[in-house]
Amino acid sequence: MSNDHDHSHGHGHHHNPPGPMVEEVSDFEALEIAVRELAIEKGLFTAEDHRRFTEFAEHIGPTPAARMVAKAWLDPEYKKQCLTDAIKASLAVGVDWLNPTGFGTPSDYTDLRVLEDTPTLHHVVVCTLCSCYPRPILGFQPEWYRTPNYRRRLVRWPRPVLAEFGLQLPPEVEIRVEDSNQKCRFIVMPVRPAGTEGWTEDQLTEIVTRDCLIGVALPRPGMTTNIPLPVHKPANPGHH
Amino acid sequence: MSQHDRTHHAKIATGKGDPQCFKGTAGPAKFKVGQAVRIKDLPDVFYTRCQVYTRGAVGEVAVVTHESPAPEDEAWGHVDHSEWFYIVRFKQKDLWPEYPAAFANDTLQTEFSERWLEAV
Repeated sequence: MSNDHDHSHGHGHHHNPPGPMVEEVSDFEALEIAVRELAIEKGLFTAEDHRRFTEFAEHIGPTPAARMVAKAWLDPEYKKQCLTDAIKASLAVGVDWLNPTGFGTPSDYTDLRVLEDTPTLHHVVVCTLCSCYPRPILGFQPEWYRTPNYRRRLVRWPRPVLAEFGLQLPPEVEIRVEDSNQKCRFIVMPVRPAGTEGWTEDQLTEIVTRDCLIGVALPRPGMTTNIPLPVHKPANPGHH
Repeated sequence: MSQHDRTHHAKIATGKGDPQCFKGTAGPAKFKVGQAVRIKDLPDVFYTRCQVYTRGAVGEVAVVTHESPAPEDEAWGHVDHSEWFYIVRFKQKDLWPEYPAAFANDTLQTEFSERWLEAV
C-alpha cells in the first residue's frame, strides 16, 4: 500500500507511521462486491441467501473424505468403488457432487479421483495453475495450498517441500506429484498405518487428517485433529 | 453481448455434472494407457492449462480420463468441440535436469487435452 508519509520532515529522521486501519480492497474484491450487489438488486438471491451460502461453504471440512478412506481400509469392495468411481463412492459418505450445496447447483467439476498409496508409492497433490481442490469433500483449501511458494516448488522439489512439512520418505518410496490442472480433482488414500488393527471406522476416520488427504502427511495412531494441544507455561509470566 | 446465454453451463451440467455432460462428444480416443507421448510446444495465446514445464517432455499415458472442450476453447465459451483428456506420467528426471539421481523413481502426473499430445 502506498503511503505519502514517508518523506522527510526536515528534522533528521523518518517517521514510521502505523499501517492503514483498513486493508486496501483488491480489484477482484471490488468486482465480487459489484456483481453480488447487482445480483441482489436484480432479485437473483437475497443478501441473507448469500450469507447462508457463505456460512455453508466455509463449514465443509475434510471429514467425509477421511471417512471414505477409513471405509475403504475396512471394505475391499468399497475401496474398489473409490478407485473406479469416486463420485458414486462419495454418496456413501454423504457427499453428492451433483448437488453438494443443497442450493441447486452442481459442483463446478465432478470428476474425483482417489490416488492409492502403497508401501513403495506416495502421492501428493498440488495445483500449479491456481488452487484446484476437491471442495465438496475436503472443504476450502488451506492457505499454504494456494501460495505460489507451495505450487511452484512442490512439482520440482517435492522431497525438500515434504520435509518442511515434517515428512521424510526413503528413496525406495516413489514420490508421485499429481498436478491437478484440469477438471479432475484428487484425494490421496494413504496406507493404513500399523497399530490400527481392530479399529472401528470412527477411530480410523479420526487419524485421516486433511493433510494426509493432500499427501503432505501420513496418518498415524494418536495423531488426530482433535488431540489436546500441548500447553507451554510462559518462561517469564507477567503479574496480574 | 446481451444475447449471450449466461446459464448455458448450468443448463447442460445440471443433473449430469461436468465433464460427464460432454460424454460421447469427442469420438474415439487417439491414445491408450501405457502409450508413450510427447507434449507439443504449441503457441498459447491468451489462455492455456498446459504447463510450460511439460513442453517437449516424453511421458506415458496413465489414465484416459474424460471428454471435454479444451480449456483454450472453453475459456471463451466455445463448447461445441470436445477432446479426450489424458493424465500423463513423467519421470521427474525427464522434467527437471537437476533432479537428484538418488530419487530416480520419483514421478509427476498431470493432465492434457488430446491436442497437446503426439505419439513417440
